[in-house]
Parts: sequence; C-alpha cells; structure tokens
Amino acid sequence: MDTSSPSVFVNAELLRMHVGKKVRAVVHVTQSDGEITTGKSTDEHQLIVKGLPHVSLMSYVEVIGIAESDQSIRAETWTNFGNTFDAQSYNQVCQLANGEFKGLFL
Amino acid sequence: MAVNLTPNAIAAIIAGDVNSKPLVQILDIKLIAAAAQPKERYRLLLSDAVSSQHAMLATQLSDRVKSGQVRKGSVVQLIDYICTSSQNRKIIVVLNMETIIRECEIIGNPKSLVEFDSTAQKPLPNGSLDHSTRVSNNRFNAQNPGQSVQSFPPTVQPPYQPPPNYRNHGPMLKNDAPARIIPITALNPYQGRWAIKARVTAKGDMRRYNNARGDGKVFSFDLLDSDGGEIRVTCFNAVVDRFYDAIEIGKVYLISKGSLKPAQKNFNHLKNEWEIFLETTSTVELCPEEDGSIPRQQFSFRPISEIENAENNSILDVIGIVISVNPSVPIMRKNGMETQRRILNLKDGSGKSVELTLWGEFCNREGQKLKEMIDSGSFPVLAVKAGKVNDFNGKSIGSISSTQLFIDPDFPEARGLRNWFDRGGKNVASVSISREIMPGGSKNEIRKTVSQIKDEGLGRSDKPDWVTVKATISFIKTDTFCYTACPLMIGDRQCNKKVTKSGNMWTCDRCNQEFEECDYRYLLQAQIQDHTGLTWVTAFQESGEEILGCSAKELYLLKYEEQDDDKFGGIIRSRLFNQYLFRLKIKEEMYGDEQRVKITIVKADNVNHSSESRYMLDLISKFSR
Repeated sequence: MDTSSPSVFVNAELLRMHVGKKVRAVVHVTQSDGEITTGKSTDEHQLIVKGLPHVSLMSYVEVIGIAESDQSIRAETWTNFGNTFDAQSYNQVCQLANGEFKGLFL
Repeated sequence: MAVNLTPNAIAAIIAGDVNSKPLVQILDIKLIAAAAQPKERYRLLLSDAVSSQHAMLATQLSDRVKSGQVRKGSVVQLIDYICTSSQNRKIIVVLNMETIIRECEIIGNPKSLVEFDSTAQKPLPNGSLDHSTRVSNNRFNAQNPGQSVQSFPPTVQPPYQPPPNYRNHGPMLKNDAPARIIPITALNPYQGRWAIKARVTAKGDMRRYNNARGDGKVFSFDLLDSDGGEIRVTCFNAVVDRFYDAIEIGKVYLISKGSLKPAQKNFNHLKNEWEIFLETTSTVELCPEEDGSIPRQQFSFRPISEIENAENNSILDVIGIVISVNPSVPIMRKNGMETQRRILNLKDGSGKSVELTLWGEFCNREGQKLKEMIDSGSFPVLAVKAGKVNDFNGKSIGSISSTQLFIDPDFPEARGLRNWFDRGGKNVASVSISREIMPGGSKNEIRKTVSQIKDEGLGRSDKPDWVTVKATISFIKTDTFCYTACPLMIGDRQCNKKVTKSGNMWTCDRCNQEFEECDYRYLLQAQIQDHTGLTWVTAFQESGEEILGCSAKELYLLKYEEQDDDKFGGIIRSRLFNQYLFRLKIKEEMYGDEQRVKITIVKADNVNHSSESRYMLDLISKFSR
C-alpha cells in the first residue's frame, strides 16, 4: 500500500482547509458533461470535479486529487461506488478524521 | 338368649388371675377425657353377673366402642388383660377381648366390688375366695341370683390365642359392623377401621412388571371425596383381578379395609402423603345412587404466564384454547421402543402461550380429535390434569401416564376462556414461553469480540449465551466436513439422523428403513478470527451453506467421487477470509471428563457495511477521551 502521498478525507466544509493539498471526497453526481462533473458533497454542498469521464447521474463517485479551490477538485483517481452509498457515515468519518482522530490519518 | 357369665370372674381378675379368659358383661362405658393422650380412653364397668369392676380399655380397642361393636350390655370374652395395683387400688386393663353378644340385657344383679380392701370382698355364693391363691380355670355352673336362666355349660368358643407379638395391639376382629365413613384427609395408618366414600377420578392401566421377586401386575386408581380429599389406591397381583373390572371412572365406591402406606411421590402426584393398598380382605362397594356432593374432578388451573416460573418436572393443571396441532411423529424412546409424539399450542388470557407435548395414546385419541377440530376451523378448549413441566426449550408441558385431557369441558374456567377468546382474545398476540429465548434482531443483539468470549466466561451459566461477533473465517477443516444423513421425512421435518452403509444401501436406525441415496449435511469445524483473537467454532447445515456457498453434497461429490482436489481446494480457499456477522450460541458442555466451551454458528450473515459503519461510529462516539 502506497502511503507516500496520503489524501485527506474532506467534505465541502473541510475542503477549504486543504486547498492545494491532496484530498479525497465522495460526490453524488448531479451533472456530468465530460470535462466538468457537478455533484453534491456528503455535507450537501455543491462541488465541482474536473477530469472525470462521463459518469451516470445519481451515482456516487469517490474522487482523489488536488483541491484547486474551496469548491473544486482536479481528479487523479476515482472510483464509482454505484447508486447506494451511506453518505452520512462518510461525512462523519470526514469529521472524525479531521477532528479528534486526525493523528490516525495523516 | 341369656348366657352364663364366668362366675367370680371379677374377683378372679382382682386376685391376679389373668389367664382364665372369662366371659363378662359390660355394664357401662365411659369416655375418659385425657388431655395428655392422643387417643380417647374408655373405661368399662365389667360384670360377672354378681360383681362389677371398672376396667380401662386399651386405646387400640377404642374403635370398637366407637364403632358400636362393644356397647353397654355387650357380653365379651376377655382375652388379654392385666390387673395392676396402684395406691391400694386394683386397675384392670383390657388389652384384647372378643365380643360374643353385642346386645344383651343386664345379666344378674352385679354389685360394685369394694376394691380397696381385699379382705372386704363380698363372699361369693360358692364360698370365699382366697385371693392369695390362683383361682383355677373353673367353668362351673354358677347359680346366678335374681335371674332365671337355663343352666347350661357356657357356649364360649375355645380361647382365642393371638400371636404373642400382638400383645399390645388388638388384631382386627372378624366383625360385620360397618366402619364409619371418614374424610379421605383423615386417613392414616394408625386409624384402625375406616371406610371412605369417594368417586374414581382416574383409573390407570394394568401394568405387568418383573422384578427380583418375580412377575406381577399392578394398577392404581385415584379417589376424590366430597371434602375434596384425594388419594390413590393401588392393587397388586390377585387383588388386581378382584377389582380391576369393578372400578370405573366417575362412579362412587365405598372402600374399606385397605392398608395405608406412604405415597410414592415419583408416580403419585395427589396431595396426600398416604396411599391405599387394597388386600384380598378389602371391600369395594359400588354406590349406585348418584352422590352429588362428590365432585367429578378436582383441578387447580395455573395461568400459562405462571408456568414460566414453574419448576422443571413439577406437575400441574392447565386450561387453554388450542391454537395449533402438529402432526403426530414417531419418536424412538431410550428403551428402543417407538412411541408417538404430537405438539400442540395452548393460549390463555395471560398473554402467554405454551407448547403441550402429547405422548403415546394421547396423540391418537385426543390429539387426533383436536387436529380435526382445528382443521375444521374451531379452536377448542383443552383442560389438562397432571401435566409435567419440561424446561428443555423454554418451558413446555408434557403428558405423563396419569395425565387426563378434557376437550371443551363444561367447567366455569372453560366457559370463561371461550368467552375471552371469542370476544377478541383470539386476536391478542401471545408470547410463547416454550421457545428458547434467543435475542434476535438488531435491537437486542449483544455484540462481542472473540477475546470477550473467553475473558467474560461466556457459556458457563445454566443457559447458553447468544452473541453476535463480527469475524473472519480463517480456517476450515476439510478432512471431515459433513456426515451422511437420513433423507426421510418424519412429519414435517427431515429425520437427519446419521446413517450407515450396509452393502449398497444406507440404513437409518430411527426410521428403520433402507434407501439407496442418502443426504449430506454439513458438520464443519472452522476457525474465526477478529482483531482480538481467534477461536474454533462448529457450523451445521444452514450456516455451513452460508459459509461455503454451496451444498454439502456438491462438495462431498467433488472431493470423494470426482476426487478433484484442485477444484475442491479452490472452493475452500475462496471462502476463507470472508467476514461475517456470526450469531453464536455459546455453551459449556461435558466432553468426557472435562468441561469445554462449545461455540456454534447459528447464522452467518454478510456484513451490511452501512449499518456496520453506523454501529462503529456509534461505538466511537462512546469512547471516553
């Protein structure tokens, strides 16, 4: 397992704290037109993902890449989780990973 | 008819003659109230037609007075008696006597013998009595003054010689006087003559037995009298022949002359410490007139909710509505005999239901009738007398030989139940007390880790522990992973007993049949592991299929018939390191001499990651900092 460049678990709120860094987020796709994918973050805010191929709407995609701004991520790798995903649990993990258990993750 | 009493009998006794066995008459009987004594004592006034003297009647003979065998005027032959001195007074004690004439006019004109001074005795017609010498056993014609009587030799029978060891106990007299009817609750071995009038509430089958003393037969029946007293009556061998046909359930009998012995609590569940044993001399008389004062049956019904707390093996009565009747299945008993078993469910107003297991004839008789009633859509009331509590799987009730079943009986409790059921009780959900209390559902699951099983000593108490463990299969034993099982159906379940091959055919001992094809069922030994440790577990058919993802038969054929070890090995390896949420039953059991904790996988569920995540997040939130 390559741990050389870890990515931070983020939702929309946490993204702004890690602009320019490698992050990972799960996005619920609402729009996909090839270059730009728009979706909802796990804390219900809009996020933009660049570099994804066409993805079917309403699917959940995990994106790992560099946070370009406090609202967008440039994708390096991605995984399609399908249509069922527990966004709420993921959101809680994001909070824990950036909060009291930060030391476990980075 | 007048008779001659033994002349000078009284004087002779006073003088010390205790061997003459004289004929005397009882002039008076008085009950002496003796506070310190358990039994009433009677004082008699004895007469030899000339003199009279008080005598105490030994308590073992008190009944004769009570029953009227001995009354004022009775002419009796004194058999066993003594005369003692106390404070210058002579006390005669009658230990045994025989009533010769029960009712007789006073013979002679007896006068009280002055006792305290032996020299002041009245001279007898036949000369003076020398009290220092023993009076010989003369039976001579006394001239009884004041009585015109034929003189003829006494017609007394030869003296009755009781066996020496009956010195202090009066043997039973041959006597026609009817014994008094007493309540069953008053019966005890020291009672003396008794009679009871009671209704037969239960009649057992005649049973043959063989023990060290030889062959024999026995049967018992239960009696209930008007006071609600109950007692069991048992007959052996020849006595069985005498009474078996005569005794009918529901009829009232007058029974007497049986012996009382301690009740055998193993078989006799009536509330009486005694049991009657009838002998060849016992009397059993049918009372043809209906005695309304004697109830037909005595019950003490318990609500089903109370049965939950009843002791294992206790006997009780219960009444409920039958809500289901299962088919009759043959069961092999420990002694190799086969019997029938049928399971029913009873429900009552307590909100609980209970399983009733019928054995043997009950299955075919009442069981079949109840099944037909259920099938036709009705829900009959069933009253059970003397059912036995069993705590094998929760609490259930089983029939025993003395159980009695009453379908739709005409009792107030039955009517009450019927009303309750018809007016809505039918739809009230009831909780069965007969299911193993298995905490199910995610709400009351107990989650443990592998190390907690050992650390917390799970499985060591009376009841098994049911827990959920999230773990991974790390090893599956493959040399024996299944067994050959009987595929035949017994009722609604498959037999599944291990079968043996003889020649080309498989044989099942329980079903007693042979067949070509057997079934294969999993019996897996596996290791499961989590972050805390690892442990061995056993998995049976259902959980085995969940873990291996294919049937035991497929794997068996693959390994032993096709002998494709590669494919077999491949399947096994592919099932390793899968994570499951295991429902485990943990119980300590004896293996030879030692206690070992046995863990069985009851269910192997795939982990639902979403709910598992939520569970873990919840756990995390409970961590203290």
